[in-house]
Amino acid sequence: MATSANFKTEEAKAELIQLVSFNLDREEYGVYVLKVREIIRMSNVTRVPNTPYYVEGVINLRGKVIPIISLRKKFSLQEVENDKQTRIIVMDVDGELMGFIVDAVSEVIRISSAEIQPPPAVVNGGLEQEYLSGVINRADRLLVLLDLERVFSKAERDSLLNAAA
Amino acid sequence: MSQLCEDQELLEGFLTETTELLEKMDDDLVTLEKSPDNMELLNSIFRSIHTVKGASSFLGFELLVKITHKTEDVLNRLRKGEIQVTAEIMDVILEAVDLIKILVNDIRNGEIIERDLDSIIDKLIPYISGTFAEATVLSAPKEEAAAPETYTTDTDPPQREVTDGKTAASEPAVETSTPVSPPAPASVRPTAPKAAPARAEELSDNTTVRIDVKRLDDLMNQVGEMVLERNRILQMNIDYQTKENMVNFGDEFGKLAKRIDFVTSELQMQVLKIRMIPVEKVFKKFPRIVRNLSRDLGKEVELEIIGEETELDRSVVDEIGDPLIHLIRNSLDHGIELPDDRMAAGKPRTGRVVLSATHEGNQIIISIKDDGRGIDPEKLSRKAIEKGLVSEEQVAGMSQKEILDLIFLPGFSTKEKATDLSGRGVGMDVVRTNIRKLNGIIELRSEVGVGSEIILKLPLTLAIIQSLLVEVEHEVYSIPLAAVLETLKVENSSFHYIGGQEVLKLRESVLPLLRLQRVFGVSERAEKTAQSYIVVIGVAEKRMGLIVTRLLGQQEVAIKSLGKFLAKAPGIAGSTIMGDGRVALIIDPAGLIEMDDSGSVGSWAA
Repeated sequence: MATSANFKTEEAKAELIQLVSFNLDREEYGVYVLKVREIIRMSNVTRVPNTPYYVEGVINLRGKVIPIISLRKKFSLQEVENDKQTRIIVMDVDGELMGFIVDAVSEVIRISSAEIQPPPAVVNGGLEQEYLSGVINRADRLLVLLDLERVFSKAERDSLLNAAA
Repeated sequence: MSQLCEDQELLEGFLTETTELLEKMDDDLVTLEKSPDNMELLNSIFRSIHTVKGASSFLGFELLVKITHKTEDVLNRLRKGEIQVTAEIMDVILEAVDLIKILVNDIRNGEIIERDLDSIIDKLIPYISGTFAEATVLSAPKEEAAAPETYTTDTDPPQREVTDGKTAASEPAVETSTPVSPPAPASVRPTAPKAAPARAEELSDNTTVRIDVKRLDDLMNQVGEMVLERNRILQMNIDYQTKENMVNFGDEFGKLAKRIDFVTSELQMQVLKIRMIPVEKVFKKFPRIVRNLSRDLGKEVELEIIGEETELDRSVVDEIGDPLIHLIRNSLDHGIELPDDRMAAGKPRTGRVVLSATHEGNQIIISIKDDGRGIDPEKLSRKAIEKGLVSEEQVAGMSQKEILDLIFLPGFSTKEKATDLSGRGVGMDVVRTNIRKLNGIIELRSEVGVGSEIILKLPLTLAIIQSLLVEVEHEVYSIPLAAVLETLKVENSSFHYIGGQEVLKLRESVLPLLRLQRVFGVSERAEKTAQSYIVVIGVAEKRMGLIVTRLLGQQEVAIKSLGKFLAKAPGIAGSTIMGDGRVALIIDPAGLIEMDDSGSVGSWAA
C-alpha cells in the first residue's frame, strides 16, 4: 500500500489526510477515508465453516457477497453483543471488498500527516501488530492508525489463500 | 501486439477470422482425405488458405505469407488435378496448417518468434513442382527476411538436420509423419531458446463472442417487457402511497409478481443461451486427432460424432477439451485393437469410436464409446495391487464396478508399454480432476472383448445452478443438484462403522457417510431424532452420503464467489443469495469427497 509506505518517509511534506475514526472497546482507531467504501449497519451474517476464528462470515451487500471480519476477535478483545451502535466498515482490501465489525463509528477527521507518529516500539515489536501503522496524539485523545490491508499477516493471508486442505 | 501492427482493430479482426478459418480447415482436410473427389470441399479449403495468405500479406506477416503461399500452391495443384490426394500429402498439409496456427498464435501473443519454416516448406516443395532449384532459390532470401525478426543474437545458419532429424532437404517427402500433438517443440529452432511452447490446438480465442442477431433481438424484447413491468411496479407504488385505485390491489400485485417472475426467468434463459455454444467447437478437433493417432498406432479407426450441435455454456466447453482428448486417446491406444487382432477376434478390421453429446434435463451427457477389447477387471485389479494402490483384501471385497473405478486412482496405468500419447498413468486421473472441477459425474462401463464406454455428466452452466437446499442444525446450505443422486430418510440404527468411518449399506454397495454438522463445525441445536436425512452425492466416479438435519427443497440459485480471501474454504464452493436476502453457502461436493479422501482409508470404494 503506497499511502502508508509514503507516510514514514515523507513526513516532512505534511499533507492533509482524512481518517474515519471508530471505537473498539475503549480505544479509538482510524483508517484512511479513501480506503473506506461505505459504513453499514449490522446485518445477517452467514457463518463460513473452517475459516480463521476472526472471520465472522459473509453478508449480502446489494447482491455482492463480502467477507466480514470481527475486529474484536482479531484483536483478542472480549466479545460483546451487537447493539444499535455496531457498524460494519466496508473497505477496499487488496482490490476486494471486506467488512470489519466495529463498536461504533464516530467521525471523519482531518489531520496533517506530520501528526502521525510511528507506533511505540513495544507494540511494533509483536508480529501480530504489523497492521498498526501509526499513532496520532491529539490533545485529549489518542488515535491508533490501522492499516487494515495488513490485518491479515502474510502467514495468515497465505493460509487463507491456500486453505484447500 | 501494438508494435506488430499499427491498427489494433484490424489485427484483431484478422486473428478472429484466421482462427475460425484454420479451425474449419482442420476438419475439412480430414474429410477431404476420406472423399478425395469432393471438388467443392477442396475449393473451399483453397479459398480459406488464400484468404489467410491475402490478409497476412496485407498486414505484413512475412513468415505467415511464406508458408501459406506454399501450402496454397500444393492445394492449387490438387485442385487442378495435377496431383492426387494421398495420405502423405495430407500429412504435409496438416503439418503446414499446424505451423500456420503456431505463427498466428505468436502474432496473438505479440511476439514474432522465428519458427522453422524450412523443414515443412521443403516437404511441400516436391508436390509443387519437383524442382529443387526453386527450393534453394526460395530459401536463400528467407534467411535475410527472417533475420531481423528474430530477437536472438545467434546468427547460425538453420540446421535442418538438428531440428528435424528425419528430414533431409533432398529426400522425397514420403517419410512417415511425426505425431501431431507436439509439433511446436519439433519445429522450434534451437536458435530461439526463449520460444514459447506453442500448441497448435490452443488456437481458440474465447475473449470475444459472436452472437446470432436473432438472439440479441429476443433479448431486447425481453428487456422491453421487463421495462413495462417496472413501470407497472412504479405505478402501483404511487397508487399505494396515494391510496388511490386500492380496489383489487392485492390481486393486481399478485399478478404483477407472477409476470415479473415469468419475464425474469425468460430473460435468464436468453442470457444463458447467449453464453451457450455448440459442443462442436470441441468436437471438431477430434477427427484430426483420431486420424493422426490411428496412423501412428497402425490401427484402423472410424470416428462417429453424434450431437455436435448440443449447446452448453462456454465456460464448460473450455474445460472439457482436455479430458475428452485424453479419453479419445485412451480409447484408441488401449481400447481399439490392431486390425489383425480384430480380425482374429471376429470383429471388423476397422474399429469404431462413437463420440456423442445429448441434453438430459439440466445436464449434458457426453459419451465416448469404442468397440475395442474392453477393460479386464482381473488385469486391472492385479495391476493396482502390484502398484501398491490397494491391498488384496480390499480388492476381494470389491464389486465389478468398484474394480473398474480403480482406473481413476492417481498413478495408474495398465498398458505394459507406455506410448508417448497415453499410458503414462496420468490420463484418467487428469480426467477425473477436470470433471470434478466442473461438478460432473463420470461413469465407466466396460465389457471384455466388446468394448467400453465412458459417460460424462456435466452441468450446462456454471453460473446458475439447480440446487437442493438443506438445513444443518439451523444453518442453510445449498448442494448442487447435478451432484445429488438421491435423498434418503433412514433409521439411525442402520448406520455402521467400518474402520472409524460411518457407512450405510445401500442396496449392493457400502456408502461412506459424512456428517455435515461435524465437518462444518455447527453447534448441535436441533432435537435428536431416530431418523436422519441423507443426501447421496456423486462426484466423478465417487459416491458419498451427507447427513443433514432437514431437506428444504429445490431452488435455482445464482453462484456468487466468496472473494479471494475465503475462496479456499474447504468444502465450500461459493455462496448464493436467498429470497430473504441472506447468504447461503453452496457446498462443494468434490471438495468434501477430497477432504474425506485424505481423512480416511478406503473411501474410494464408494
